[in-house]
Formats: sequence, structure tokens, C-alpha cells
Amino acid sequence: MNLRYMTKELYYRKRRTLTSMVGLSIGIALLIIVNALSLAYRQAARVPLKEIGADITIQRSGNVPQELTGPVFPCSAVTIRKAEVEKIQKLPGVRGTGTGLLLWVFDPNRAWIVLGIERKNSVGPSVLRSSVTEGRFLDGDKPEAVVEQAYARQFGIGLNDTISVDGHPFPVVGFLDASRAAKIAVANVYLPLEEAEKLAASSKELQSVSPYSPGDVNLLFIKADQEKITGLASEMKSILGKQATVATPDSFLKLLGSLFALSDKFTLAASLIAIIIAVLIVFKTMAGNIAERAREIGVMKAVGWTNRNVVSQLMSESIIQCFMAGILGLLIAMVAGYGLSFMKVNIPIPWEMSPTPHFLPGGGDQIFKTLRLPVQVPWTLAVFAILLSVIIGGLTGGLLGRYISKIKPAEVLRHE
Amino acid sequence: MSNLIFLSGTDLSKKYGDLEVVKGVSLAMNTGEFVCLVGKSGSGKTTLLSLLSGLEKPTQGKVNLDGTEITTSSEDELALFRRENVGFIFQSFNLIPTLSAWENVALPLFPIKMASKERRHRATELLDQMELKQRIEHLPSALSGGEKQRVAIARALVNHPKIIFADEPTGNLDSDTGEAIMDILNRLHREKEMAILMVTHDVELAKTANRLIQMKDGEIVS
Repeated sequence: MNLRYMTKELYYRKRRTLTSMVGLSIGIALLIIVNALSLAYRQAARVPLKEIGADITIQRSGNVPQELTGPVFPCSAVTIRKAEVEKIQKLPGVRGTGTGLLLWVFDPNRAWIVLGIERKNSVGPSVLRSSVTEGRFLDGDKPEAVVEQAYARQFGIGLNDTISVDGHPFPVVGFLDASRAAKIAVANVYLPLEEAEKLAASSKELQSVSPYSPGDVNLLFIKADQEKITGLASEMKSILGKQATVATPDSFLKLLGSLFALSDKFTLAASLIAIIIAVLIVFKTMAGNIAERAREIGVMKAVGWTNRNVVSQLMSESIIQCFMAGILGLLIAMVAGYGLSFMKVNIPIPWEMSPTPHFLPGGGDQIFKTLRLPVQVPWTLAVFAILLSVIIGGLTGGLLGRYISKIKPAEVLRHE
Repeated sequence: MSNLIFLSGTDLSKKYGDLEVVKGVSLAMNTGEFVCLVGKSGSGKTTLLSLLSGLEKPTQGKVNLDGTEITTSSEDELALFRRENVGFIFQSFNLIPTLSAWENVALPLFPIKMASKERRHRATELLDQMELKQRIEHLPSALSGGEKQRVAIARALVNHPKIIFADEPTGNLDSDTGEAIMDILNRLHREKEMAILMVTHDVELAKTANRLIQMKDGEIVS
């Protein structure tokens, strides 16, 4: 392979070089963008769960309370027994669990959405610790409460005030901004789990609909091995029965409804079409180029170039050309990806996971998690695309080189 | 010029389908001899030159070049043999359009492991001998016909060949330029004792050679 000859061929046959490069670079850019979009939707679908430090959330649907007095469970989140939680914790692939107790508390003058949380667990709603805007998070052993700041503002609740939930006093130790947090862990009041358990255990209305003992929960947050999430979800369903709502990133992906989000096969097909078109363009352009150079190759062979010399020269030209096309394609994809990253995506939160009673104003509205589509070109995809370009170059150059190197110099030089 | 046989073709035939272009030709050339093959178009002279130079294999017969039987060699062995022993000059110059004059001269050296400077030095030296020192960086498209053929001659010489095969080297040139090219070939033959086998249809040009072989209908007639 002669570097000087190679660069001159590419430079002086600009039109062919550019046609072939642009064709392949568009194919490579499409491949990268399609895959980056698919990855972005997948990443976006993980956000609602990621925000509460989980990969899977579990609830169980039950009956609607007869009367809305005192603490009740939302009908979409009734008791999950302690034994069931322990069974789930032992499943292979479960790396951690967090629990929560979501209550609707109907006091004579006010309705509260109360979430009992484990204070020192990185899985589950305790990640709200980072959303505290004033005061502190739940740290002490005593009964205390953190109130959602918009709710506190609406009802004039101040820091260090004492609020009464179902007749139990809770000093307000902090405020948090729930709008920064996951929609599925939004409540008006956050209590230590033990305090919420006491409220639930003492509620006759709640016990009559869904028998409850301290230690039971109604929200379960699971951290799991990524590759086992789908399998775990079905195992968890079989443990908890038909009424279980097991939410995984895939559940959100399905709700997104985008072709990129819905189907791996679509991504694969689009990628393949992009590559096949690109390969055909490269092949056609290079075949034209090589056919045009038949005489030149005849001369090379006449002056002592072996078939191998010819093939390696043509292959190196093709590889370099396709490598540059790969780089160009990557740049195009990065620019396009940057543009696409301004796109907003609304991830619908299933009604079962919405903590707000649907009969309250706004409670029945579909809620969304809105975020910018996190389009990025991962380095693995970039390297794959460049490698693919080089392989296309190598194969095209190699195949065409082998074909053209078989010409007999006398045949092409005969016709003066 | 010595009387040692340097190139010999024995009972050479070449058929393309049913058409026999060269018919049982035998020919021998001594070391340092300048031989001209003359004949009308279609007489088989270019095909004979291809057979003798190893560019093409005969349908029948043998070629021995400097003690090597080349008719049985593989394609790659022939290419290596040509690289080390043979120089070619063609009627249409056959320069690579994307390479400069010196790079065209160095073309046979590209597959050889050699310092780039050395390649350039050898090519430039030959272009200097061809009085093309000012044109070394020029592309073929910027050269006149005579200059292109001189570049082609330099390319034929760059690998220090033992023999040059020239196929109608003046065919695309005007008479003055053609004469100049013939002067160079004669000088090479005279001063470097280079064996030259030249194909031409111009009998006047052929008269400068040591020997003239006339072909007609694929056979040597005189």
C-alpha cells in the first residue's frame, strides 16, 4: 500500500470520493441517529423510576373504601404483606428494596395524601431528601413531618408548626419541592414509615377494605440487575397475583408510543436499511471508480505490481475513504442528536401510580413526566459506527480489488 | 552487443477463440541487441511483444528471458519478474493521471520496501536525464505528448531493467517528437547496452535498430 498514491487518488478524484463518502456518511449518520433515539427513549422511560432510586415499582389494586373517613388506602395500592415482600427480596437479581405506605387521610376539615417512607434507604422515596428546600428531611426517631412546599403555601403551614393528621400531631421539620421529584412519589405530607404504619393499623375503614398489620406496605420499590428486570417483573406478578401492578422501564416505554420506543425490530430494520443503502452507494461508486481505472491497474501490473499489491492499494483507498465517511457520519449524527435533544417527551404516568385521589379536583387528569429527550451518542455506538464504516470499506475494496486485479494487463493495454 | 542469447521465443502461438494471432513464431535476441518488429496493423506484432515480455501467456510454445523460462510462471511470479527485469513503453504513454511526473516514474518502485526519499531521488535523476527536471511535480495533464513519453521512458528505466519492450512508442507523437524519442532509445541502447524490442509500423524508424523482423498474418516473413 502506497500512502502517497492513495492520498492522491482520493484527492484528485474528488467527485467520486465525495459521492461515496457522502453516501456512506448519511447511512452511518442515520444508523447512529436511529439507535441514539431508541436509546434516548429507553433512557427517558427509566427516568420516572430512576428518580425514586428504583428499577421496578409494585402496587396491588383492591376495593374502593366504603366511606372516606380517616386513613384509607387508595384502591390502586392496597396491602402487600410482609411475607410477600420478603419473598420478593429473596428473588435472584433483586439488589435492594424500599418500601412505602401511601395513605389518603380524610380529616373533617382537610384531605391529606400521606406517604410513609423509610428514612435511611437509598431505594424508594427517601431519595426525596435531595428535594428539601427548607428545614430538614425526616431524620429523628420522633413523630415528625415534611410537607410539600406548594401544599404548605396553599394552607399556610409554616416550618415548626404542628399539623394534625387523623388526630395525631406532627411537627413540621421541613419542606420539599415535589415538582422536582418523581410523580409517583408525590404526597402532601411525608411521615416516617413507622408513623404511617400506626395510622394505617388504627384505621377501621382501612382494615375493613384491606386487612393490614404493621410491617405490611402498599408500595414496593425494587432495585434490580438490569438484564433481569423483565424476568423479575413476571416472577413478582406471580407472587402477588393478578391484582399486582408491576411497573418497569418497559411499561413506560410502551406508554410513550413512539416507534423508536416500541420496537427493537423497527430500530434494527431502519438501521439495516440505512446500512444497505449506504453499502450499495459505496459499492456502486467504487465499482465505477475501479472500472474507470482498469487501464491504470493494467499498467501497474505490467510494471510489476502483484495482484496482492493491487488489492491492498485499492483496499486501503476504500478503507480510508469509508473511515472518513464514518467520521463525517458521526459528526452529522452528533449535530442532529444535539438538535433532537431539545425535543420534549411526555411520559404518561399510569393512573394506578398517581397518588392523587381521582375524585379530587385535577385528580383524574392524566399526569405526565415531561423531560428533554436525552439524545446522546454513546462512545460504544460511535466506535461501532466507525468500525462498521471501516469494515464496509475493507470488504468493498477487497471484493472489487480482487475482481479487478484479475485483469490481464495485455488485455487492457492492447486497445491503444 | 554480445552474441549471448538473452531472449528467445520458441514455436510461439496465441489463439483468441478460433482466431490464431501468432502462428508458431520462433525468435531470439542477443544481449544488448535492438530489434524492431514491423508489420501492418493486425499482423500480430503487439501480441508477440506481449508474449515475449510475459504480459501474456502463449497458447503454445516457450519463452526464455535471461535464463528464466517464463511461460510456466504464475501471474504473480511474472509480475515480480517484470518488476526486476523488464521495462515497458506504450504508445499511449499510460501514465497515472493522479500522480505527478516523478511519482509516475517511481510507480514500479511503490510496492518495493524503500525509503520515499530514495524513490524520489531515483525518479528525479531519470527525469533529469530526460531533460524534464522542471516538470517533476507536474501532472500528466500538464505535459505535452513528447514529455509524457519521456516520463514513460524514465518509468521504464527506474527499475534498472535488462530489456525494454516498446510498443509503438512514437505512434501518438508528431514526427519531430518521435525522432527525439527514438534518439533517446538509441542512446540507451548505445550507451547502456540496453536490449530493446520495439514494435512499430514505421519502417523508416525501424531502420535505426540492429535488426528488423517483419511480421504478416501472425508469422515472421523476414
